Amino acid sequence: MERISKKKVFKLAEQVMLKLSEEEADNIVAEFDTLLKQLDLLDQIDTTHVKEMIFPFEEPTSFFREDIVDHVCSVEDVLYNAPVEEQGYFVIPKVVKD
Amino acid sequence: MFANRKIVNIENEVLTAISVARKQQPLLNAMVSFTEVDEAIEHAKSSSGKMAGVPIVLKDNVLTKGVRTTGSVSILDNYIGAYDATITTKLKDAGAVIIGKSALDGLGMGGTGTNCHTGFVHNPYDVNRMAGGSSAGSAALVASGAVSFAIGSDTGDSVRKPASFVGIVGVKPTYGRISRYGIIPYASSLDHVGYFTRSVEDAALALEVLAGRDDRDMTSSFRIVEDYLANLNGNLSGKTIGVLGNVIDSIKNESTLKLFNDLVDKCKTAGATIKIVSMDPKRLQTCLPVYYIIANSEATANHSNLDGIRFGMQESGDTLEELMTNSRTKGFSFLLRKRFIIGSYSLADENQELLLRKAQKVRRLLVEDFKAALADVDVLIAPASGDVAPLLTDTSADQLSARYLIAENYMVLGNFSGYPSMTIPMGKINGLPMGINITAKPFEEQVMFDVAFGMENLTGCKNMTAEVTV
Repeated sequence: MERISKKKVFKLAEQVMLKLSEEEADNIVAEFDTLLKQLDLLDQIDTTHVKEMIFPFEEPTSFFREDIVDHVCSVEDVLYNAPVEEQGYFVIPKVVKD
Repeated sequence: MFANRKIVNIENEVLTAISVARKQQPLLNAMVSFTEVDEAIEHAKSSSGKMAGVPIVLKDNVLTKGVRTTGSVSILDNYIGAYDATITTKLKDAGAVIIGKSALDGLGMGGTGTNCHTGFVHNPYDVNRMAGGSSAGSAALVASGAVSFAIGSDTGDSVRKPASFVGIVGVKPTYGRISRYGIIPYASSLDHVGYFTRSVEDAALALEVLAGRDDRDMTSSFRIVEDYLANLNGNLSGKTIGVLGNVIDSIKNESTLKLFNDLVDKCKTAGATIKIVSMDPKRLQTCLPVYYIIANSEATANHSNLDGIRFGMQESGDTLEELMTNSRTKGFSFLLRKRFIIGSYSLADENQELLLRKAQKVRRLLVEDFKAALADVDVLIAPASGDVAPLLTDTSADQLSARYLIAENYMVLGNFSGYPSMTIPMGKINGLPMGINITAKPFEEQVMFDVAFGMENLTGCKNMTAEVTV
């Protein structure tokens, strides 16, 4: 696979809402070099007609339960951790411009 | 040991555990917080539960209602659990007394115990060495003798590797055997609740307490929970033990190989049949990159909710995006940000087929190989690590060597497959512990415990504790 540029690293960081210093970006570019060599090992494996494995087992464990209220967290408990709370709501910066 | 024990004085036992953990804290740095215990002690006094009065520690990614739970990241530094994890409730119901929360590599992402929000965790056998991770604090506290049981979590080998480095028992049961409800996730398709004890008997009893179906974790299994302790049988006669040959071939340390081979010989003498089994070496070398891609992709998605809006630490910003970006940037260590960026790379539209889907396909092939290796044996064994615990300053691992790619990372097969897997101590090298890993077929924890119990009897490595000194 192609070497990752520093510009690409900044773009990837932006996509997951993170900032990096120039030095940190350099470090990641270097780390990608090792990672890409390891990924080359992956490319050498023939996966033609192989289905992805998402979870370990296919034994069914999930089902639609009855729509009955169960295990309720109180509003007070939920809002206790809110950095900014007002009248039972989380507060965020204004998103609709005047 | 708490299996089959006679309780003398619960209050005394709990307060002693707290006192020991506090005294060791300057040396081990294993605890994140201590909890109030008065109510739990009173409950334990009248409990007939399987762990009545046992002082225990939870990894700090396990939710505890009304108690700080940080996941070992800055962004959750002030987070107070809004509810109990299912295992927290089960342990309380069994009469266990939670004395505190232990340190981990941030969000469980790391294998050294050196990426904790609260600083390095030190190995009780040599404080200049790693305890291993990510469940570093829990492992250190069981090995140091502060507690005889601690909860960990295992996404790659985060219980089984530290157990090896500190000379204790580390169990990762079958995927779905223990509910994960209320555990701060890392990678959902690989995450397991695991735990540490100092004996196989305790490990067997603990699974009876922790296992079982939970509708709040829809991946948990409906299968019945067995009487693992009552059924425990350490007779190795008639057992077929598979030795994972590829791992042995990749280990260069003669002392590790001697310790392992001596134990294999003892198993043979005890009546076990030994078979050397091998997996496709080319595929086996991909364990680490497959893990990296899947785990980091899932982690990136799972932790997109850590944004400083609804809970956790918040940084200022003029816009919503700026506030979230600033909170996440300050809230995660560089190592975690790096992992999320690798996840972002794997999840990018142009890479999904090439990387994530490819890794998931290779995961299937690896699991098929692993299943075939286990087909004609009761368990598979190999050293849990190529070497003893590394020094805290050691960053020299050649990440492209077979030793690193196989010997240090093969245990992730237990997470890819979901098969039950555990580590027990097999001896010491220059005073430092070394573990052996045992893996069984899905939901055959009883077979795994039986073999582990038989081996524990052969090694005599039971109830080992370190003398914690500088």
